[in-house]
Order: sequence, then C-alpha cells, then structure tokens
Amino acid sequence: MSRRITVATFVHQDDVRAATADLRQGGFPVLDVYSPHPIHAMDEALGLRPTRLTWVCFLCGAVGGLGMLWFQHWVNAVQWPLNVGGKPWNSLPAEAPVAFEMLVLLAAFGSVLACLAVCRLYPGRTPRDWYQGATDDRYVLEVDEAGPASGASEMVAVLRKHGAVQIQELVR
Amino acid sequence: MSSPLRPPLIAGHKSLADVTRDICTPLEGRPSSWWWAGLAVSASMLLVGLVSVGYQIAWGIGTWGLNKTVGWGFDITNFVFWIGIGHAGTLISAVLFLFRQQWRTSVNRAAEAMTLFAVMCAGIFPLIHMGRPWLFFWFAPYPNARGPLWINFKSPLVWDFFAISTYFLVSALFWYFGLLPDLATLRDRAVGWRKKLCGVLCLGWNGSARTWHRYETVYLLLAGLATPLVFSVHTIVSMDFATSVIPGWHTTIFPPYFVAGAIFSGLAMVLTLMLIARKTMRLEAYLTARHVDAMCQLMLAMGCLVGLAYGTEFFLAFYSGNPYEQFVFLNRAAGPLAWAYWTMVTCNVLVPQVLWLKAARRNFALVFAVSILVNVGMWFERFVIIVTSLHRDYLPSSWATYVPTLIELTTLVGSFGLFFTCFLLFCRFVPVIAMAEVKGVLDVGHETRREDAVVTGEAA
Amino acid sequence: MSVGEKHYWKSVAQRQGVREEPPAPGVSRRGFLEAAGFTVSLAALGGCQRAPVREALPYVAQPEGARPGRPLRFATTCGGCPAGCGLLATVRDGRPLKMEGLPEHPLSRGGLCAVGQALPLGLYDSQRLTAPRQNGQPATWPEVDAAIRDQLARTAARGGRVRVVTPTITSPTLRHAIDQFLKQFPDGRQITFDPLGGSAILAAHEQTHGRRVLPRYRLDRARVIVSLDADFLGAWYSPVEHTVGWRQGRTLPLRAGGHAADATHEPGGKGDGQHAAGPESPHDPGPIDLAYHVQFESRMTLTGSNADRRYVVHPSVISAVAAWLWQRVLGVRPAGAPPGDAAQLDALAQRLRDSQGQALVLCGSHDVATQVIVNRLNDALGAYGQTLDLDAPSRQRQDNAADLAALVADLKAGRIAGLIVAGVDLTYYLPPDEALDAALENVPLTIAIGEHLGDFAGRARFVCPDQHPLESWLDAEPVAGLFSIRQPTISPLADTRSALESFAAWSGRAASALELVQAYWREQVFPRPQAPGEFQAFWDRAVQDGFVDLTAEVPRTEPVRRSADQPRTPLPAASDELTLVLHPTAAIPDARHAHNPWLQELPDPITKVTWDNFAAISPRLAEQQGLAQDDVVQITVAGGSLELPVCIQPGQHERVVAVALNYGVPGTQRFAKVGPQWFQARPTVGAGGRVGVNAAPLVALTSGGIAYVRGGVQLKPTGRRQRLATTQLHDLLEVPAATRPPGSEARQALVQETTLAEYRRDPTAGAPHAHHFDGQLWPDDHPSEGHRWGMVIDLNRCSGCSACLIACQSENNVPVVGRDEVQRHREMHWIRIDRYYAGDEAEPEVVHQPMLCQHCAHAPCETVCPVLATVHSREGLNQQVYNRCVGTRYCANNCPYKVRRFNWFDYAHDDTLQNLALNPDVTVRMRGIMEKCSFCVQRIQEGKIEARRRGIAVADGAIQAACQQSCPGDAIVFGDLNDPASRVAQAMRDARRFTVLEELNVRPSVGYLRKVRNEG
Repeated sequence: MSRRITVATFVHQDDVRAATADLRQGGFPVLDVYSPHPIHAMDEALGLRPTRLTWVCFLCGAVGGLGMLWFQHWVNAVQWPLNVGGKPWNSLPAEAPVAFEMLVLLAAFGSVLACLAVCRLYPGRTPRDWYQGATDDRYVLEVDEAGPASGASEMVAVLRKHGAVQIQELVR
Repeated sequence: MSSPLRPPLIAGHKSLADVTRDICTPLEGRPSSWWWAGLAVSASMLLVGLVSVGYQIAWGIGTWGLNKTVGWGFDITNFVFWIGIGHAGTLISAVLFLFRQQWRTSVNRAAEAMTLFAVMCAGIFPLIHMGRPWLFFWFAPYPNARGPLWINFKSPLVWDFFAISTYFLVSALFWYFGLLPDLATLRDRAVGWRKKLCGVLCLGWNGSARTWHRYETVYLLLAGLATPLVFSVHTIVSMDFATSVIPGWHTTIFPPYFVAGAIFSGLAMVLTLMLIARKTMRLEAYLTARHVDAMCQLMLAMGCLVGLAYGTEFFLAFYSGNPYEQFVFLNRAAGPLAWAYWTMVTCNVLVPQVLWLKAARRNFALVFAVSILVNVGMWFERFVIIVTSLHRDYLPSSWATYVPTLIELTTLVGSFGLFFTCFLLFCRFVPVIAMAEVKGVLDVGHETRREDAVVTGEAA
Repeated sequence: MSVGEKHYWKSVAQRQGVREEPPAPGVSRRGFLEAAGFTVSLAALGGCQRAPVREALPYVAQPEGARPGRPLRFATTCGGCPAGCGLLATVRDGRPLKMEGLPEHPLSRGGLCAVGQALPLGLYDSQRLTAPRQNGQPATWPEVDAAIRDQLARTAARGGRVRVVTPTITSPTLRHAIDQFLKQFPDGRQITFDPLGGSAILAAHEQTHGRRVLPRYRLDRARVIVSLDADFLGAWYSPVEHTVGWRQGRTLPLRAGGHAADATHEPGGKGDGQHAAGPESPHDPGPIDLAYHVQFESRMTLTGSNADRRYVVHPSVISAVAAWLWQRVLGVRPAGAPPGDAAQLDALAQRLRDSQGQALVLCGSHDVATQVIVNRLNDALGAYGQTLDLDAPSRQRQDNAADLAALVADLKAGRIAGLIVAGVDLTYYLPPDEALDAALENVPLTIAIGEHLGDFAGRARFVCPDQHPLESWLDAEPVAGLFSIRQPTISPLADTRSALESFAAWSGRAASALELVQAYWREQVFPRPQAPGEFQAFWDRAVQDGFVDLTAEVPRTEPVRRSADQPRTPLPAASDELTLVLHPTAAIPDARHAHNPWLQELPDPITKVTWDNFAAISPRLAEQQGLAQDDVVQITVAGGSLELPVCIQPGQHERVVAVALNYGVPGTQRFAKVGPQWFQARPTVGAGGRVGVNAAPLVALTSGGIAYVRGGVQLKPTGRRQRLATTQLHDLLEVPAATRPPGSEARQALVQETTLAEYRRDPTAGAPHAHHFDGQLWPDDHPSEGHRWGMVIDLNRCSGCSACLIACQSENNVPVVGRDEVQRHREMHWIRIDRYYAGDEAEPEVVHQPMLCQHCAHAPCETVCPVLATVHSREGLNQQVYNRCVGTRYCANNCPYKVRRFNWFDYAHDDTLQNLALNPDVTVRMRGIMEKCSFCVQRIQEGKIEARRRGIAVADGAIQAACQQSCPGDAIVFGDLNDPASRVAQAMRDARRFTVLEELNVRPSVGYLRKVRNEG
C-alpha cells in the first residue's frame, strides 16, 4: 500500500524536538525522527515507552551467575571431586570470581544482542528510511499525512514555525 | 543543561558539520608521513617480538632468565602492566559516563581502543609463559574424554582466564556498540568499497529516534556492567599473588592497591597517547587543556593512593612481626634489587607531585614527561612485586638471582610494537573521537548557537 | 620386591638351588576380572594403532627366572673404588639400572656412596674404549696379544726390568694373576700408586708395629673420635664404612614428648590425633649419649662440618697437635709452645685418656713422622685391638710412595724395559716433566690398561681396554678375611677384556675371568673355613650372598711394638706460610669418574659447586688479597703454577689454599655440549676445554712420593672472572645483615638444633617456640584411610654426603643439565642437601638438611594449579601429573620449600647409550612441565602389588624410597604414618621431630629430627 509522508529537515535539535511535540499535539502522527546524535528528551516528545531491555540484561546476568555457581559446584563436589590442597570439595568463596565474570559476560552480550534484535540492526541491512545528512548535521522528521482533516497546510505551518530548512513530500 | 557559566567542552565554535569533517577527513585522505614513520617503527618492533616469541616457543622457556626460584619474571610483569594500562580506558568510557562527565566524550573512543589493544598485549603473556603453550585450551572447562577432567576452579589462574577473556569481550562489545553511529556517518560520506564496508559494519544504522532510545539504555547498561568488571579484573589479577603463601605476595591490601595502580598507569598511558594524538592529528579543539588538566588531577590522586599502598605494605610487615614478611620488604628496599624499588617509588610517588601546580598541569611537555615516567614506574612496580618477592623467599638455600635474557627484552619490545601498530591502524581507519557523542555536547557553553543554526539553515 | 624376600643370584646362566617364588595365593573372582579386563582393554588398545612390523625372536635358551619387566637383583661388589662396599644391582631386561647398598654387607651395611650409585652411567658410557689399540691404531686382541707376548719374551730373555703400575688392588685373584705374570721376569715388580693414598699410614705402622698395613678403623666402637685432617666421612679410603660406623655414635633413642602432645600438629596432619595414642618406641630409651667427635683441619671438609668440636689449624700444626696430645695422654709436659689453646688441648687429652679403649685418633697426613706419632698416641689410648683393628686390617690402601719415586728415576735412567699401567692414569697425576716424557718414548714396551683413553694411554704402544666393574668377574678382599665377589650384570658392551684376563693371557694361562676367580677361590679361599663341604655349594652361597666373611679365620698375630714409649720431647716445628692443600672430592675420588656426568653435576657437599674445581680460600685471605668469589687467580708454587677461579670458603684456615685433584681429566672435552645448545648457552667445559683444571703442575715428586701439601704459595689475581656453577648462592650463608629483620628467628625455624646437655634435660630443647593452631581453617572432608606415606630425616645422622642425590637421580631419570643451566639455577635434582652456616665466618657451625618435596597435606602448589596437574592422592602423596601439566610454574612459585623443578628445555639427552640407564618405571619428562619428588611412587606401587600378590599386608620397611635405601647414615625413614607401629610413625612422635616452616600450617608429611651437638 502506498502512503504519502512529509519529511522535514532541521538544523538544530531543539527545533526538531519542539516541532515533534507540537505536531503530536496537533494530532499529526510523527512517524520517526532521524538525528546524528541522541536528542535530549526526544523520547517524551515522541511519547516512547521506556524500553524493557533492562529486564533482558537482568535475566541474562542471573542465568550467567547462578549457572556458573551451579556448574562449579557440580564439577568440584559432584562430578569428579579431587583433593586439591586439602581444601573442602566445595568452597563457595573460590567460586565467586568466575561466577561474577560469567554474570557480566552474559548480561552484556544478552542485552546488546537483544537491542540489535528489537532495533532490527544486522549486517547487510539497508534501512528503509534513510536521509542524507541524518548522520551528519541534519535532523529529519517524518510525518504521516494521514493526519487530521485540517490537512497539510497546517502541518507545514507548524514545521516552518519551528524553522524547518527543507520540507518535501514522499510517497512510499 | 547548558549554562553560560560553564566553559565550553569543545573549543572554537564547531558546527555539527565541522565535527564530522574534522574527524572524518583524516580517515579519508592520504595518511601523513608522520603516520607512515610511526607505523614503520612500531611494525618493526612487532616483528622483532614475533621472532623472539617464535624462538622461545621453539626452544622452551629456558630462553628466558627464569629459574627454579623465580618462576615468573618479565612475562607476568608485562601481563599485569598491560592489563593495568587497559583499565583507564574502561574507567574513562564507563565510569565517567556514569558520572555524566561530559568532557570524556572527546577521549573515550581512543581510551576504549587503548583498552582493547592493551588487553590484547596482556593476553599474549599468560599464553606464551606456559611451558606448553599449544595446550592453552586446557584452561577452558570443556567436556573431554579425560573423565571428563575439568579445571581447578580454586586456582586464581583460572579466575584470571575468565576475568581477562570476559574483560576483552565486553570491552570490545562496548567499543563496537559505541562505534555504530559513527560508522553510519562514515558510510554516508564514503563511496565505493568503503561505503559497502561501513554499511555492513554499522548494521544499517539510520539514526532513528527509536533506535537511539534503546541504544542509550543499553549503552548505560554496558557502562554499568563494565564498571564493576574493571574493578573485578584487577582484583582477580592481584589474587594471583594475594592468595599465595609467598611473603610479599600474601597480603590483603593487594586488590585495592592493584586497582589503584592499574588506573594510575592507565591514565598515564591515555595522557601520553592523547598528547601525541592532538599534536599529530590536529585535534587541539577537541582535546583541550581542560581535558589534560582533568586527567592530571586524576593521575595525581591515583599516584598518592599508590604511595599510600607502598607505605601500608611496610607498616604491615613491621606490625605483623612476621620475620619473613619483614625480610622481604627490607630486602626490597636494601637488597640486590633495591634499584628497581627506588625507581618505582621515584616515578610513581615523587614525580607526580609536581602536578599539584596548575602551571605544571598546563605545561604539556612536562605532563608528557610525567606520564612517561609514571608508565615506567608502574612497570617496575609489578617487577618489584613479582621478582623481589620470589627471588628470596623462605629457605635461604634456594635464593637466586634473576637476570632477563635478550629474548625477554625483545618480547617486551614486541608487545609495545603490537600496541602501537594497532593504535596507529585505529587512528587511520576508525573515528578517533566519538562524533555522535561530541555532537550531543557541542553546544555546551555556546549560547550563540541558535543564531548560527538559523544562518546555516537559510544558507541551506 | 621387598628386600627381605629376595633371592640373590650369582648369574642368570648359573643360577642353581634357588627355590621358586612361593606360588601366588588363589586368585579371587574380583582379581581375575580386573586382570581379564586389563588384558582385554590392553589388547583393544594395541589394535588402535598400527605398530611397525618388527622381528621378535624369543630367547633361544630362556634364562632361568628372567621375566620381562620383572627386575632381577644381583649381590655383587662395588668397583667404584677400593673400599669394596657390598652392591645390590637391579637388572631389568638385561640392563643394570640401579645400584643399591647390600644390606647384609659387614662393611657398608646397605649404604652406598654417590660414586657407587653412579656406576650405571659409567657403564653406559659412549666414550669408553671399545677395542684394543696398537701404536694408536685400532687392532684386534690376537694381534695385540701376539705382539705383546713377543715383546715380553724378548724382555724376559734380556732380563729387562718390567714394572706393573696399578692402584690399590683389593682383588686377591688379580693380585695373584699379576704375581704369576711378573714371575716370568728376573726383575719384575708391581708398584701400587694411589693418588693421595695411604702410604704414610702404612709406612708408619711398619715402623711402629712391624706390619705395612692400613688398620681398619672401627668408628662404631669409638666414643671419642679425634680426626687430624682426616675426611673420613667424605673422601678418605672407605667413606661408607666409616659413615656406617660413625652413625652408631650419632644415634639417639626415641623419646616421647613435644609434638606428640598437640594433635593438630601431626605432619600431613589430619588432626585425628591417633599418633598421640600410639605405642611408645619398642626399644625403651636407653642411655642418652653421643660419641664426641673433634676435628682438627685446615680446610672445611664434610667430616669437619659434622664434628662436635672443630679446630681450624694450619696443616703444619697437625703433627704438633698429635705430639702434644700424645705427650699429655702420657702425662708428660711437652716442651715448646702449645699448638693452640693449651687448656682445650689438655681437656681433650684428658677426655681421651678417660675413654681408654674407646678412643680413636685418625690422621690424614701424608707425613710418615706425623703418622708415627699418631700411632703411638693410639697405642697409648689402647686403641689397637679395640677401635683400630690390625688383626684383620684393611686392604683398601696398599700404595707405596717410595716405589713411585724409584720408578720415575728408573724411567729417566732408561732402566725400564716394560711398563704396564693398569687402572690409573700415571702420567696425568705426575707433574709435567719433559725428561720423563722423553724417557717414556724410549721404553720398548708400554701397555695401558683402562676404560678410557687417558694421558698415559695416549702415549702407550698398546692400549688394552679394561671392562667396567659391572661387566666382568672379579673378587675383592677390602678387609683381610672378608672375601666378596664381583659378578657381571651384563655381557660386555664392547670388545673389551678385563685386566685379570689380560694378565692371565700374557702369562700364558689364558682363561675366562670366572675360571680364574673360581680357581683361586678353590685353592685359597675355600680351604680357609674348617667347615667341610662341597666347593660348588660354598661358591654358590658366596655368589648368592655376595661375600664370605672369614675375618674370624684370619690368624691373630701379636703386633710387634717397635715403639720406644718415651715421646720425643721437642714438638715438630709449625709454620704459617701460605700453603697449598690438594685433596680429592667426594664426588670424584679418582679420575676414572670424571667421565660420569652425574658425578660432575653432583654439588660438592660443602661448597655446592658443580662441574669445576677451584681454589678455596678463607674469607679473611680473600679480603687481604682483594679477591672475590669467581675471580680467576694464578697459583704459583715452586715448580709450577696454574689458574683457577676462587671459591671463598668459610671455616678454612686463612693461610691455606685448597684445590681439588682429579679435574681437567683428558676426555672430559666431551662435556662441552652437555645441556641445551640455544644461542645464549655457554659450554660446560672450562677455558682449557676440559671440566676443571688438572692440579698436577702444583704437586712435587719427592723421594718420599708425591707431595700434596706445598708451602710457599703465591696468589696473583689475573683480573679475569670465571663463574662457578653453585647450587646455593655462595655469598648467602644466612639472611644478609643489611636485610635481617630485628630479632629474626628465620634460621632457627628452618633447621633446629640443640646440645646434648640441653637435650638430656628437655627432649624438646631447641624448638623455637610452640605454634598453636586452631587446627582447622576450613572443614576437612578428606579422611585418610589406608596408607599415608611419610618420611622422617634424622639430622643427627645425616652427614650430608649427598649419596641420596645420585640415588634419586638414577631411580627417577632426573636429567643432567650442564654447567650453564646450573649457573642459571636450574639444576634438576629432586632432593638437595641444604647447607647452612652459623656463627662467624672464621669458624662457622654447619648444618646439612636434606630437602625434598614435603608432600604437604595442605599443599600450596595444588591449590594454584589451573589444570589440576598436581593433586593429592588418597595416600597422602602430592602427585604431579606430567601429561596434564601445561607449565605455568605457579606451583613452583607458591612452594615455600622451592623443591619443584621445571623442564626449561628438552633435557632428555640423545646419547642413546646413556639412555640405557633410564628406569622404565619412570616417565622421561618432556620440556615445559613441572616435576618433583614423588616419594618414589613407582616403588610404592611395586611394593603394594608384591604384597597383594602374596596376599599379605605391606610390611613396614618393605617399601623403601631410593634416597632412604642407600643412605650410609641410615638417616632417612620412610613408611606408613597411619600404622602407629611403623618406624616412621614412631619417629614422627619423637620429641626431636620438627617440620620445616611449621608456622605456615601446610602440614608436611616429612619430619626432621632435631640435630643434637655433643658439645662435651
């Protein structure tokens, strides 16, 4: 299905953030904003829910740490106990370091991979929406024209008000 | 967030485009003759190292100066030294990030790269110091046909194995994750194969706000994980010694002492590289006097911490009433290797004291010299801890001396070769400064920004 | 195989009348299944790899009792030196591998010195002569014999003088054969030449007792021993015999108390405290007493280091001391100044007089007059017949210094028609002399008989390679009436012929050595005992036992007393000029053994120097002359000079320079390439291309034989340095003053000692202070059932002779690493003798402490190994798993005793012949892995298997560690700590027992018994 979207380009992060906020108040569905660096408070402007990746991180960490603790106990005391320097078969303090390292390792990789997955970032991916300058010095805002009836003119006005240096329509 | 009272983080009214240009152009143009010269030197050092390691593996550890009493010498000294270097990288990128120290943005990329390369150098030594290095994989607990015979989780070396490998992987991940937006920037500027390559590497980054949103969260998580990691790694390294029974090793202050020392040496190395980079790569605007100043203050603090540790060791030896412990420390200060000990004290404790003076901190030549000396001193700290504790331990009958052989020296040279080769290549092919982050803090302290923006906007 | 249960066979071919092993008890089903399972799996494994096709020929005639892999043990006699100790040779698959002491032997009592232990490497020596030579060209025996007989016939016809030069020959058969040989000539004589021999003692006894003999020293009967420059424990005639006697006087009964109190303290301690409840030692504590041993000497010898009282005197003072003591014993007031502290000398004299018949004075002087005085002194002490045996005298030295002088004179005058030198390198020992060299050229017939191409063999017309003691039949009579047999344990490796056979052949009675020995025994030995019987039975018995003790049959002769009992009043003059003293070393008592790498790398018991000889001087002299350790110095005496590195020796007289003989031996160039040849490796030989320097240029040939003590020495620094390879850093006697913490007790804790008086009062005297642990730092879930192996070493009976080092090296395939590696502190010996000095440098006290893996129950090495390559066995052994080790060396770093040894290079030598000496029971370690003492785990297993085969429990003492087996001092006890009645368990409960570095609470399984000095 083809739909028409308006793409506005800004040169300052404050402008694009303000524009985004206004448009959404006006009921215009802002699809996304592309910027060379994270824009402060943009998530509120776009009304994004806080991500749940922190939970992924926590779970991976838990699995890594506890799993390694169990594994060491199993190796030291259960599967093949060996008398090492007369130490007890299973000595918890000695097992802490390795368990901690595995905790960190799994947590780190788990959360990053999860993030890439939910962002659909992967090698060889060609982004559907990609704008020249969005990784350099331009802030690009995408609005769906399927907005309120009052229509395009008002949206353009809002964009102009906030100092969009370039506005164009795309059909996708 | 920006207030008129705050001095700018980035000097000289840079615009976003300037940032991109300044940082990307060096990568796209032809390398300077300086760069070629540097690469030639470091690569040949690396070659020397490779040859000597090859010879050592062909003949045996006997080609080192070790003996029945001193089982570790240059090998583990270099290992701990490099690991320590690595830590400042993580500290700057992760810890300062958590503390919202925005001045870090200019240095964190380079610092993280340094961490990676330092850990690579460090990792080599435990490998080649083995009598039978080709069996290194026996350190890993993998199912095997020997029982299966697992590994000794009570051994600090095993903890080391896990700590170092985790540290390397997580640092690499952290570094690469931070690199994604900049790779996208490169992709958008480049043409031809470079474009393709960066396209693949940046995983199709397009700067969407939704991605940024998650990206920042995960970056924060990584920083949160890397911070305890950096402390745990050197704590575990220190346990190689602290859990032994050898006087001079068997002491509980080692973990904090080692971490402090690690950060100390790491900062020194960062400073060294920073000062070189800002000169050779014309990044004065990004690596300002303010950065140097902040680093110097940190370094001074760490220097004092290490000094405190040295004092504490002696006090404990005296206070313990343990004759062996007492002997070891007297032997460090007055024994045959006293010269090493006093080199260490001079370089690590006395020299950094000049940094109390603001003038000194502003004098880059002086700061450079200090940073070099601190690196030397920290290398000797590890040497003193390892060798002077071993060479005269309990039974006088087995006391011995340790004299490094040529092979050991060239191996050390080789590790520096590896480090600088990697670093030069990094300067050449990767944005040495995190553009995305710098752009984020660009308008700190520049109130005129908005007008500029409008002007540029109309121009466009 | 347990010592108690073994049969001694004379030879595989002639084994007779020996009962078979008792049949093994019925195999249990379990045992059968195990065996079957093993066989099957083995067969299966065999199929896993394609083996190269090889012809396997069975024995044409299966030797009786030879079972593949099963060791045979032969009782024989050590041929290392004339001491003639009993030898128990272990032969495996036809290869003699391990030499051990013969427990029943009357002289050595199961002890064996380093030289004896090292025999196998002398046998598997690729540099030995392999065929006779004529005028420098290889020849065959028939050719050589024909030529020689022809020459001899002409000489006999012309009535020319024939001289046979040999070292002391204790073999009656060989002596007989030589006599027979010399009978062919009108003027034929045998000349016995021992470098540093006993000629003076023999001559003195001729004067005083009318018999030219060496008395047998019965140290076991002596309670007061005064030694004047006699290194009787080290390298003096019969060290093992002497040590065995000496140890009687150093033995203390076990006493309860001390550690037995606190259970937590048990070594290898499991805190079960059962030892505290164990029975008391079987023989109840008898009189607590020690022999009193006083040593007067000019250099620090092994014997002096063990003396209760040691006086450092100038060599020229020795005879004065003897005279003084003699006159005081007789109650005469000597004229002239006392040689030393008169009060102490008089006290000593008093003490000697009080112990009439229990006193013994030994003297190592080469001066006849001095020895005469000593004999008179011993006479006055009633030593003869008690502590000195002249009735059954020793035959271990028979040399006659005067003969040698005469021979050289004859040679120079061209009066010698035939010169045969057998078993000693004559010209190597003589000072360089062109006239003599020229004269030798003109001797019509010169024959060299020996194992190596020495200096004389290089000049001789004919070279007749002798056989190694382990290759040939011979006998020995080290002490009159004690006949022992030396039987071959392997057929000759090369085309060699024993000296016995050669002489027989040249006398026209060619016969095999066995025939000759048997013939002699049939005529001379068999008739001695009046007991009737069959000769064959007598012979078989003798061969099985290895010896026949007929000392009782020796006719008692009333000694002629030619001694005028009035002492000569004036004391011999003493000087204090700088004097050179030449001496043998315990490791290389004669040049033959210089070809043995084990002995070359054996650290000298005192200086710990390997692979070199040196000029030992006192710290004081070094100071005066501005010399430091390793400085090369030029030593000049009248007639000669040479350059040697300096070794600074505490406890040596400041006007004495001591140099070891038997170095710089021709042929030692071979050692240049010992050890790894990497690019920074330095050769193992010295500047001269040989190991050490020959000291012959410093001796002088006088009418009274060779003078080994020379006055008027000059030392000149050359400015060069040559690093000596020492296994202990030489400048570190103790914790250096600069770094000694105030009130440090370090040494006390390491090696403990006390005095007899103290010990009588308090059995635990000498313990620094009691350590009290709460016992357990962590829950102990390692109960020790079954065996728990442990060891106790009695410092009181350890003389530091270092025989155990070679025993261990030979048993455990410990490699030789060469001088460079030793200089880099990488010697591989699993057991070492730590030598500590105490007190001032001029007159230090010395302690020897054998140090080996302590097999700690809480072993620090085990905890740190990442790959579980060293773990603890159920039987308390600290095991090193070679094929799991990756070589991080962390264990060695963390070992408080530093007893772990790392294979820095591939030390396994490629000398295939030498590799025949490897023990197949023990892995040869590759490079890059750690190794250490295993408590001879292979012997433990062998003992357990044997016991199981017989269906009996492992008897205490049935399993012996290699170091323990051959210890002449019987200082080492090994066994099961879990058996409260075992010797080792009892010794562990002894009040003298301490463990090194107790305060670390690593709980070693090795205990030490405190040294007790009898300070009079």
